[in-house]
Amino acid sequence: MSKLLIVIPAYNEEDNIVRVVSELSERYPQYDYVVINDGSRDQTATLCRQHGFRLIDLPVNLGLAGAFQTGLRYAAENGYDCALQFDADGQHKPEYIQPMLEELENGADIVIGSRFLTVKKPKSLRMLGSYLISWAIRLTTGRAICDPTSGMRMFNRRMVNEFALNLNYGPEPDTISYLIKNGAIVKEIQVEMGERVAGSSYLTFTRAAQYMFKMGLSILLIQWFRKREPVIAYPERSL
Amino acid sequence: MLISLPIRILLILGSLLTAMFILRRVRYAKVQIEDSLFWLFCSAFLLFLSIFPEITTWIARRLGFMSEINVVYLSMIFLLLIKQFYMSVRISQMDSKLKSLTQKIALNEEKIERKNSEH
Repeated sequence: MSKLLIVIPAYNEEDNIVRVVSELSERYPQYDYVVINDGSRDQTATLCRQHGFRLIDLPVNLGLAGAFQTGLRYAAENGYDCALQFDADGQHKPEYIQPMLEELENGADIVIGSRFLTVKKPKSLRMLGSYLISWAIRLTTGRAICDPTSGMRMFNRRMVNEFALNLNYGPEPDTISYLIKNGAIVKEIQVEMGERVAGSSYLTFTRAAQYMFKMGLSILLIQWFRKREPVIAYPERSL
Repeated sequence: MLISLPIRILLILGSLLTAMFILRRVRYAKVQIEDSLFWLFCSAFLLFLSIFPEITTWIARRLGFMSEINVVYLSMIFLLLIKQFYMSVRISQMDSKLKSLTQKIALNEEKIERKNSEH
């Protein structure tokens, strides 16, 4: 079995972090995890230290992309075969890690834990963004990605090396579309997600609209112009 | 005064060059995609104004500008001011992050030195 690192970026998640990480470490001890505290202003880091969780404590706030990249650098430096992006708010369910890992071992570069692979995507305002991004990816790559905004994604070693050091590799749908265009194999696995149990979501309506606008422009317009550098394995580069 | 043809051609060339320049930066991963969007928007806006000068004419008549080209100038100044404002906010944030990082490193260093001298 390949060695998996679960990367849990956390920003102001004091209400959820203990429950989420305890469940992972008690019921799924076969996986390694690391919490990346993204400069939270609440008790997130303190709680992690109290409970003895493995923690990388960023001294300033870097945003999701920067925090997640920290986790991937950690994975690359410590010889992990693959990495999983996992939310700290309890929306992601660890029982789906195993099927995702199997799909990755079957030769996928990226596996997305998808809510809408076999389940119909609801036609609500909240899902409008998801529909638009799916459509943009389909238009530019010819591939159907049913749940592009899912935050539960697994990356193989090649992807980890590529994400760990490069610019414009945020864990977002536009990077996925760019990688598909460059020949990466992206698979989806049907998962269920819970609602956020405590705390407040970062995504307000304005932020969601802004995000959509940025992703749309990025996927439809900008990704065509990017040039892919050959991936150099992390240890060779840092020597 | 309608915007003259040479000026329109100049504006079109300017906007296309801007777009080309920023997309080259994106291509070689020299700029973050978020930061390139403003310049692409800017060049699209300029292109739009220079291809459809009727819009500047309409705005100039409605708001009492002396000449159409002033509409172009003023909107460019406005765009640049907004950009300047956001950049100023961002520099300020970067400043405070840099300060906090420097302090963190120095505090850690002190901790290590103290530990070493105790042994």
